[in-house]
Amino acid sequence: MKICVWGDELAGWVATAHLAGYGNEVIKAGSALVPAESAIRIEPGLMERIEQGIAAGRIRSSEEEDPFSAEIHWLAIGPGELEAASEIVAHLSAVHQGALLVVNQSNLGTGASDELQARLEQSRNQHVVYLPDMLQGGQAMRQFAQPEVLLVGCESESAGTMLTALMRPFTREGTEVRLMSRREAEFTKFAITGMLALRLGYINELAMLADHVGVDIETVRDGMSTDQRVGPHYLSPGCGFGGHHFTQYIEGLAGLLSKTRGSTLLETVLKQNEQHKELPFRKLWQHYRCNLQGRRIAIWGLAFKPGVATVESAPSLRVVDALLAQGAIIQLHDPEALEDFRFHYGEQQQLVYCDKPYDAVDGVDALLLLTAWPEYWSPNYTELRRLMRDPVIVDGRNVYDPHLLHDLGFTYYGVGRAGH
Amino acid sequence: MTPDSCWSDLRDAAQVLKSRHLSELLGDADRFDALAFEYDGLLLDLSRQRLLPETLDQLVELAEACRLPAKIDALIGGEPVNCTEGRAALHTALRTPAGKSLSLNGEDVIAGVQGTLAKMEALVDTLHSGQWRGYSGEAIDTVVNIGVGGSDLGPLMTCRALSDFKPAAARGIELHFVSSMDGSQLSGLLSSLNPATTLFVLSSKSFTTIDTLANAATARQWLLDAGGVDSEVILRHHFIGITAQPEKAGDWGIPSQNQLLFWDWTGGRYSMWSAIGLPIAIAIGMEGFRRLLAGAHSIDTHFHQAPLRENLPVLLALVGIWNINLLDIHAHAILPYDGRLAHLPAYLEQLEMESNGKRVRTDGSDTEGHTCPVLWGEIGPNAQHAFYQLLHQGTESVMCDFIVPAKRYTDRGLELQQQHRLALANCLAQARVLALGDRALDDDTAADAPPWKRYRGNQPSTVILLDELTPYSLGQLIATYEHKVYVQAVIWGINPFDQWGVELGKKMATAMLDELDNPGQANTLDSATRGLLNRINSLRGQG
Repeated sequence: MKICVWGDELAGWVATAHLAGYGNEVIKAGSALVPAESAIRIEPGLMERIEQGIAAGRIRSSEEEDPFSAEIHWLAIGPGELEAASEIVAHLSAVHQGALLVVNQSNLGTGASDELQARLEQSRNQHVVYLPDMLQGGQAMRQFAQPEVLLVGCESESAGTMLTALMRPFTREGTEVRLMSRREAEFTKFAITGMLALRLGYINELAMLADHVGVDIETVRDGMSTDQRVGPHYLSPGCGFGGHHFTQYIEGLAGLLSKTRGSTLLETVLKQNEQHKELPFRKLWQHYRCNLQGRRIAIWGLAFKPGVATVESAPSLRVVDALLAQGAIIQLHDPEALEDFRFHYGEQQQLVYCDKPYDAVDGVDALLLLTAWPEYWSPNYTELRRLMRDPVIVDGRNVYDPHLLHDLGFTYYGVGRAGH
Repeated sequence: MTPDSCWSDLRDAAQVLKSRHLSELLGDADRFDALAFEYDGLLLDLSRQRLLPETLDQLVELAEACRLPAKIDALIGGEPVNCTEGRAALHTALRTPAGKSLSLNGEDVIAGVQGTLAKMEALVDTLHSGQWRGYSGEAIDTVVNIGVGGSDLGPLMTCRALSDFKPAAARGIELHFVSSMDGSQLSGLLSSLNPATTLFVLSSKSFTTIDTLANAATARQWLLDAGGVDSEVILRHHFIGITAQPEKAGDWGIPSQNQLLFWDWTGGRYSMWSAIGLPIAIAIGMEGFRRLLAGAHSIDTHFHQAPLRENLPVLLALVGIWNINLLDIHAHAILPYDGRLAHLPAYLEQLEMESNGKRVRTDGSDTEGHTCPVLWGEIGPNAQHAFYQLLHQGTESVMCDFIVPAKRYTDRGLELQQQHRLALANCLAQARVLALGDRALDDDTAADAPPWKRYRGNQPSTVILLDELTPYSLGQLIATYEHKVYVQAVIWGINPFDQWGVELGKKMATAMLDELDNPGQANTLDSATRGLLNRINSLRGQG
């Protein structure tokens, strides 16, 4: 089958890789044939499959092949891009007289797939099905290839048949397919994402409380996950979640809840999250008795999560703004997002951009760790201790061992770890 | 012409006009054109005053005989018009735009004013960007202004009036005003505030005002108890001091970077244009605050340059003189027909009564006639259900100021626009009935009514019509009243810029505090006070 994949979300790349692996001709809309974000590139198994597909000529760019020539279209675009999706679908309908299948795997909100469907001619057998994106970074390839359950929002028998055929290589081993309306499937995705945000908000609130009560939230979290009803996922305390898409998606849901239900449940989570992003700043502020004027501060990690080169909605933005306003000098390092950060802030007297992590900690009064890039997990502590003017570490991701750091002579602040 | 001969002519004119009912005067079809005055969008309608256009000519002659033009020059030029305290009253300098200069005792006042505005701006920017941090490192989201009199009424009135003009950045900051000495406002407020994110603005020209310092001490202790940090940190991050006495503010503990200063030539009730206006700038942004200043400056220029016969503040003042000194009216109601101006009556009560509630002239002699009348007021539509009965059928003559914007809710729903039309209709109808009485009806209907349903009318009123209520037009309105007060003071020969009448009570209160703490020490008290003190102390003794 000839399939065109739209968008740069992880789901789109995974679909491209797997579908090409089973003989389909895949056109990847856009000029790049490899994902730009390292967080996607590091997805285990992904790059090999893409390279194989390209080598076999089964993955081609839209420069090589007209994307609108395909009869199956896979949408994996970012939230907030409904308009772009609408334009694509409208154009498809205009150029195709016959059958079309649009598989929407984007988080565009409840009702979006129906809106896309309205752009198509149902009488010509043109249909939208919604396939919620349930992939988790790190396991996405396996999850796509062997799904335990497939939630499908589909309201047409012929479209269902088509999708089943397309997914057959991946659903042979007893995958349970749950059919529902597009709207219900979208709402299900919405509900799951909201639930995850609530968990993150809850564990972060608990972390703040742990600081007051004098217990280590990491120990408590371990205990919590032993209860099967709770489980271990989405319970890592830290200095707030970021990322444009996740935040935007939650904002959409929060807005919907507040507008139609007067509920502030998710709004509170978002508001608390914004405050939580400043937590490392507040720890530092209190450590230095509310005066950071002229202090030299190192920041390790600017990206909103490891593996991405962007700083969208990242805690680093809030922390740097606060430090700048207080007259501190900030020495910054990030393995990939330094350029994106520089693009936002430009050259300023108070900002020192460093290519190497140990350059950033030279002569500083404190080190803030804001993104848990793997290379920060086990630093050379002796070197750190030697370079820093004052050995204060604010660990916004709880990656270090408080006992060890204490023994090495550091002053350590984590998230919810005042018990140490 | 001397003032005496002017007064004499005016008394003659009043004799004639007293017998003429407003309904008769309003029969003149050209009356509105002759008695409505407009400048820069502000309309002053004097056609419901009990006078004729030629009366205004006579009043202007009186003003000239009292050397008003020279006195206006003196005010704006920075001469020591506050003669009992030997200093200038330069509120006009506070709204003079950058680039001009005015030398006072060898210093450029305008440069100083602009310097303070710049410091205010930096402070407001820090707050609005969420970068003013409390002791926990959280951003300040609540500002409490502690001040009384001029340090309270002006900012409070203006913040309420301009609540529609909050820029997005200001929406994250909640503003409160605390003034009462007994702590009743503060105690209720503190229980609902988060100390970590609350900033107090202490506004006191002298920094000795006991009302303010008592509230400030309570606030500081509240923060110390909550924060668990030392007082230096609390003072640095949770207090701003606005004062003309930096040393006193420093002694209290306000660090210099948190001080915003104004000058002894800024009277308390004329101070909302100075750093005292910080809460206004926090509420409507610095740009809004500058528009407020620009509106006032527009009226300053007009007041300084326009001929007296077209000069809005002068005319407003002279009509007052006519009512008070020639028609014997000693009550003045302020009636805004816009709920946002709820605090305007209280503001004008202070402005007028503290300025001109005096009986001694600048040369030490007693004034001959009446000076400032009793002022009070309320949002018009609400007052209709309260004291308008007295206006319509009582025995007192009362002059009224109706203040109303022509347009409101232009970007809102039709229902709200309809509500404003309702307010406008009521404003016009009330001014009309006060003037005409039941002559607003046809003769038969009026005459058939029983005595208790009759309206005598003939209550004079002024209508001040704004195009819209904006920072600019509010600046114009308040500056108009300020200058009106000055003009009347010139005519009466009194100093509007001191307030010695409030001093003795403060002094006595300090002595009385000792009596409450150590009963029976002084034998010099009168029997009335002694009687009450005994009663109170015995009640307190019972715990």
